[in-house]
Amino acid sequence: MNALSSNKDLQLLNGNHAVAMGVKLANPHFAPLYPITPQTPILEKLIALQSAGELETELLTPESEHSAMASAIAASATGVRVFTATSSQGLLLMHELLHFAAGARTPIVMFNVNRTPASPWGFWPDQIDSLSQRDTGWVQLYSENPQESLDTVIQAFRIAEAAQMPVMVNHDAFYVSHAVEPVEVPAQETVDTFLPAYKAGLHLDPELGRSLGAPIDQKSWNESRQQMAAAMATVGDLTASAGQDWGDLTGRSYGPLEQYRTDGADVVFVTMGSMCGTVREAVDGLRARGIAAGLLKIRLFRPLPQVELRKALADVPCAIVLDRNYSPGVGGVVHQELKAALFDMANAPRLHGLLAGVGGVNVSAEMIERLAVEYRDAVASPDPVWVEE
Amino acid sequence: MDDMQRSTLWTDALSENRLTGTWRNETPDYRNLPSPCLGACPVSGRIADWIGKVEKKDYRGAWETLVDNNPFPAIAGRICHHPCETACNRAQLDETVSICALERFVGDTALSEGWAFPAPPANAPAQSVAIIGSGPAGLSAAYQLRRAGVGVTIYESQDQLGGLMRYGIPAYRLEKSILDGEIARIIDMGVTVKLNTEITGAAGLQELRVRHDAVYLATGASRPKPLPGVDYDQPWVQDSADFLAATNAGQDCTLGAHVLVIGGGSAAMDVARTARRLGRKVTVLALEPEAMLPAQRAEVIEATEEGIEFVTGAMMQSAEPGTDGLRIRCTRVDFKRGTTRGAFNITPVEDSEFTLTADAIIPSIGQDADLSRWQDLLAGDGPVLKADASWHTGLDGVFTGGDVASMDRFVTQAIGMGKEAARSILVYIAPDVGAADAPADDPEAGFSVINTAYHPLAERNKPQNADVTARLGNFKEVQQSLDQSQAMTEASRCFSCGTCTYCDNCYFYCPDMAITKLDGGGYEIKSDYCKGCGLCVAECPTGAIRMQEDL
Repeated sequence: MNALSSNKDLQLLNGNHAVAMGVKLANPHFAPLYPITPQTPILEKLIALQSAGELETELLTPESEHSAMASAIAASATGVRVFTATSSQGLLLMHELLHFAAGARTPIVMFNVNRTPASPWGFWPDQIDSLSQRDTGWVQLYSENPQESLDTVIQAFRIAEAAQMPVMVNHDAFYVSHAVEPVEVPAQETVDTFLPAYKAGLHLDPELGRSLGAPIDQKSWNESRQQMAAAMATVGDLTASAGQDWGDLTGRSYGPLEQYRTDGADVVFVTMGSMCGTVREAVDGLRARGIAAGLLKIRLFRPLPQVELRKALADVPCAIVLDRNYSPGVGGVVHQELKAALFDMANAPRLHGLLAGVGGVNVSAEMIERLAVEYRDAVASPDPVWVEE
Repeated sequence: MDDMQRSTLWTDALSENRLTGTWRNETPDYRNLPSPCLGACPVSGRIADWIGKVEKKDYRGAWETLVDNNPFPAIAGRICHHPCETACNRAQLDETVSICALERFVGDTALSEGWAFPAPPANAPAQSVAIIGSGPAGLSAAYQLRRAGVGVTIYESQDQLGGLMRYGIPAYRLEKSILDGEIARIIDMGVTVKLNTEITGAAGLQELRVRHDAVYLATGASRPKPLPGVDYDQPWVQDSADFLAATNAGQDCTLGAHVLVIGGGSAAMDVARTARRLGRKVTVLALEPEAMLPAQRAEVIEATEEGIEFVTGAMMQSAEPGTDGLRIRCTRVDFKRGTTRGAFNITPVEDSEFTLTADAIIPSIGQDADLSRWQDLLAGDGPVLKADASWHTGLDGVFTGGDVASMDRFVTQAIGMGKEAARSILVYIAPDVGAADAPADDPEAGFSVINTAYHPLAERNKPQNADVTARLGNFKEVQQSLDQSQAMTEASRCFSCGTCTYCDNCYFYCPDMAITKLDGGGYEIKSDYCKGCGLCVAECPTGAIRMQEDL
């Protein structure tokens, strides 16, 4: 996994530019984009690539994110590959159409840069923008670093098109979006092998004379949700096989979950996004001090891989969720999701829900080590706990 | 997966599991509704229809639609008082459509192209109808009867056909070649014409009743109303009808240099402007204040432009020859309009006398129908002949219309009356041919049903008038034609109120695919699937669909 140690062609890219390179390789037919900090570098890079003649994608810059998603749905319904990107307020403006896109089964891939929603105004890494969209029917993946963002956006097209569900890939504002790291940009042939051109099934075409999403009766609407449930049920395996196939081609494998040094762990941190990198460092530090710590990284948040989560945490004495988000009145979203996933499990860990990094405040490796020591033997509170450095 | 989604998400066609029609409590009713211009039109012309054809450059089709109700589009396009334009919905957006000028464009195109009316049907009824008088009402009736194949004989007292259109309307408003062209087209359908044949008295009428299966009496109102206190035998007095008939026939005018025309109606304007063209100085004296003159506004404006002086709100009391012309004593009057058409009350204003000078006077205060000819045979109704709603006089088989039977004294009103009478006559003589469908009782398509988003603001193409200097000294037409490009852009301004233009908006906007296109034009709304959302109605640019509550 260490890009620096490979012999491949490495480029210094920030997370957003890495996404743009991944999009270029996936070669969508159409990408409507509306600028918003901190997503804008994705848009800028795609426009620059197109201006340089390196990107064939038709770009559209409509008057709002709502229109961007509307045009994405319409284009996708015609049977072409579609990409868009946004962040925070932009994602929230799309909300109505996120339901529509999922219900219409349009396999759009969207990159969302996690950022605090107003008010108060801010630009800081926080995942509540995308987590609050969890019930819209979008597959959600969270990326830890620029390389994973590039790799995941390509895999996302394969998952979306196979499941006929839209996929949202997320990475944290600035910590990933603007942080520059060496990134291996795979060859076009590699990506073409992994992701053949999209062949749509049912699609809009005047020649075919069919319409999409006409009013239906109650029973048919109900059935449409059962069909979405069936599609969602395939996403876990699709994510696993896409991550495995990608690994076979590039040496970088991925799955719905990732476990780091969890063998025999007394305490396992559960988190998503850029926080995982810091936890890895803390785990190494804790292990060096003789504390058996590990990391369970959730990469696929929707659909939540509940069976895999129960398996990964079975017989672990203590699990600590680090939520870089806050759902007012409840607590950390990942904490809530995990409590539900582990419900009624005999060998479940004591589960701590810590609100760490909400609003983008720094969570250092030292702080995480301290939290491990503080909470590994403590009685778990059902309520969320705010922690600070 | 595709198969599953097909049943929930994709609609290939109308499918059994989506009977959205069950949700409906209102249903779109797709049918053409009468436009306000149609309601106002004296001949009930399908204006939205024929303008739509002009827009599509189907001038022949436009003409055929026009002549369904009126065989004189080139004439009406010049002299109609065009109440259609007053009623036009477009006036509520920017400016009324120049319907009259468009009609002239189509009528002139038909004349220049030499289009003829089709031959009457071969299996025509054997009956024949006598028409007394060849003015607009008589010729209109002749045309409609001949179209149905009925034999028609016109009895005309003058030596040419046309009645008021020939003898009452000056050439600068209606060129004689236009009049001749549109009349000839009717006669060419096989109408028998008896010129210089005056039907006088009850005996003459009775003879026609014997010879024909029905009689249409349309002798007009050619008898000038005498102005009380004026000696018509004086050489400096000329009756307006005589004046117009003589000058329209090209005879010399013997009146002096300064003419006083008495009256404020259209005929008075025709007299005044004719005299002006013959080099006279002209003053118009009218009882009505300027704003209430009964002539069309444009006529008053054009007369003023031509240098005619107006003395309004005043009455002549006496005229006496003096050393240098007539001394005409006048007084100002307080004019009050009465409750019925043409009725009024005047009160002289005290101490307001004044004197005008002139060399001649032409009283032009209206014309009466000559009812005395039919005394003992036909009943009168005030100044006109009595007739029922079908224009039947009460004397079996004798119908009437035009100025002799109505105070609605406009050329196109007479044309409309002729058409109506022809229909009644057909029912009378050949019920199986003549019976027409009862008119539908549909509401008019008012401005509120027009989706103005589809009708951008556009300036009206007004017909232009010849320069004043070019008008005087000759009888060339004042009002000019629209050219083809003006006619096209003007036609495109028409909302087509209540008339489907087959734009497909309803078909495309229907969210339930409940509207299908029919072979041969038009649409069908499938009630099993229409959920009554009204989108088709909202997106109809012309108001040809409306929501009707399901009862």
